[in-house]
Amino acid sequence: MVRLPTLSWLALRNLGREMRRSALTAAAMAVGLALLIFSRTIADGAHEDWIDAGVRLGSGHVTFNAPGYRDGESLDDRMSRAQVEAALAAIGDSGTSGQPLASVRVATRGLASSPDGALPAFIVGVDAATETMFSRLGEEVVDGRYLQDGDRLHAFLGVALAERLGLRTGSRMVLTAQAASGDIEGQLVRVVGVYDSGVEELDRTLVHVPLGTARSWLGVEGATAVAVLLPHSSFTDPLLDGAEAAAGRAGLEVVGWPETQPDLYSALKLDDGGDWAFHIILFAIVALAILNAIFISVLHRKRELGLLRALGLSGRETGLVVYIEGILLTVASGFVGVGLGLAVMFLFFRDGLDISGLMPEDLNFGGVAFDPVMVPVIELKHVVQSALLTFVIGLSASLYPAWHAARLDPAETVKVD
Amino acid sequence: MREKPTARESAVRTEGLWKIYPQEPRPVEAVRGVDIEVSAGEFVAMAGPSGSGKTTVLNLLGGLTRPSRGKVWIDGREISALPDRELAKVRLSRIGFVFQSYNLLPVLTAAENAEFTMLLQGVPARERRERVRRLFAEIGLEGLEDRMPPKLSGGQQQRVAVARAVLADPALVLADEPTANLDSAMAEALLDVMEQLNREQGTTFVFSTHDPRVMRRAGRLIRLVDGQVEG
Repeated sequence: MVRLPTLSWLALRNLGREMRRSALTAAAMAVGLALLIFSRTIADGAHEDWIDAGVRLGSGHVTFNAPGYRDGESLDDRMSRAQVEAALAAIGDSGTSGQPLASVRVATRGLASSPDGALPAFIVGVDAATETMFSRLGEEVVDGRYLQDGDRLHAFLGVALAERLGLRTGSRMVLTAQAASGDIEGQLVRVVGVYDSGVEELDRTLVHVPLGTARSWLGVEGATAVAVLLPHSSFTDPLLDGAEAAAGRAGLEVVGWPETQPDLYSALKLDDGGDWAFHIILFAIVALAILNAIFISVLHRKRELGLLRALGLSGRETGLVVYIEGILLTVASGFVGVGLGLAVMFLFFRDGLDISGLMPEDLNFGGVAFDPVMVPVIELKHVVQSALLTFVIGLSASLYPAWHAARLDPAETVKVD
Repeated sequence: MREKPTARESAVRTEGLWKIYPQEPRPVEAVRGVDIEVSAGEFVAMAGPSGSGKTTVLNLLGGLTRPSRGKVWIDGREISALPDRELAKVRLSRIGFVFQSYNLLPVLTAAENAEFTMLLQGVPARERRERVRRLFAEIGLEGLEDRMPPKLSGGQQQRVAVARAVLADPALVLADEPTANLDSAMAEALLDVMEQLNREQGTTFVFSTHDPRVMRRAGRLIRLVDGQVEG
């Protein structure tokens, strides 16, 4: 449109004249956007933390299994040594950026026994050096230590299981499970350490033993799973895409953490949904504030807008002046809001936002211990989404006042008051 | 600028013009069958008591409102049935308005107000400024170019409005009681300016008034009573 620069110039002048009203309207949008960005970065940080905690205690961001293993967790569906090698090669060849950490595991369900009794246990044979970097259990030691290279007939177990079986560091226990041969086999191990993960289910069932011990005890040459830890959950899909073909050729299936930890995935989706619902309510309020401010401003300027019609602007162009005012306010608010949101986020970047006073201790969420200190993380996609949402809301809220301005009757509006 | 008109061509003409406002319990007939013709270069006053339909007729002539019946021609072009966008173009290119209550854009300076219509017409900036400078000098607004409207007196504001109306080189300037808010000295000064522009540039003026002093300055008087032309 030829006159767009003139209309924009006029809109800018109008905003300048009503500086206080313009600033207040823009502030409502900017603060709304800043809140949105801050809460998104906090949520993104918390979610990444939950995923990280979940996959470290579980089966990684990505897991390679023999087909059928995940259904029955039976050693009949184990990976051969060649398949383990193929899985490791597939990870290396996937072209995933970052440094994936692969943990070869032999896992089975069985019994943990002591003179005090016997309880069901989920026993996982791990490579101690790798697992120290993979799992957070080594950071949760309450007695003794985590497994080390050179450990052979040792076990590291949760505090709930240890208490129920009357075990502590140095105690001996017997692990019993069905071996690959189908026979029930027992293995005497000594407790090297006890952990307290904060997740009751883990603390009363999960037992780590050295990989070599698990292999020889259960008669497994390969593994039941190769779990992969990635620097960030966003690398999950690229690794899956890059490794799927090679895994298929090796007769393996490869899945991401949303499939291996559906409870965690659902919990995150639920939390995300709640966040968006909150944001939509917040922005509905902001939109009403903007609509109100711009509409009142149109009502106050009826005579001026009518004069524009008399001077030769069409109804559409007159509405456009008002709409451009909305656009300018929205754009200005967008910049200020993004800046403000990121500034607030940086305040909490180092130490995080501690909400421990607002929640019970040992809160679990989707099978993961909830960390009350939430450290924000910038996900560019979400910052852009938030800014776009503000833009859409600002532009939508400006539509009605613009439409109203376009429909003003010039003969009525230029009348003497 | 347009050439000063030499022939007695019609600047505005109406035929059987009616304006009826739907209202309970009875529709209001504000204008009832008005036939007017104003030739180019005329200086015409439309007189009549309050409620006689002067403002409504001016709004109909200027395309600010549409007739219920009848037709309006501006500079030979029938405008009554034009769509909104076309009507806006006619207002922009053929008609200048001066309203009773000054009606300057408060966010623009006096000079910016005066050149606003030219800006919409796409007149180059240098030419706009030159035309404003010359006209402001002629009508006693020199030195007030950068003043914002609230810093101008009523008479000065009305002169800026007249400048805005004539600078865009319209076929017709419609002024609705332009002197109503001015004291007699300012009113005389404004009429001097309008007469001067009519005389020197050939601008056609049609203005409404109920002030006998203003009527006396008109080249021709059209009397309206109860929405009809008298006599």
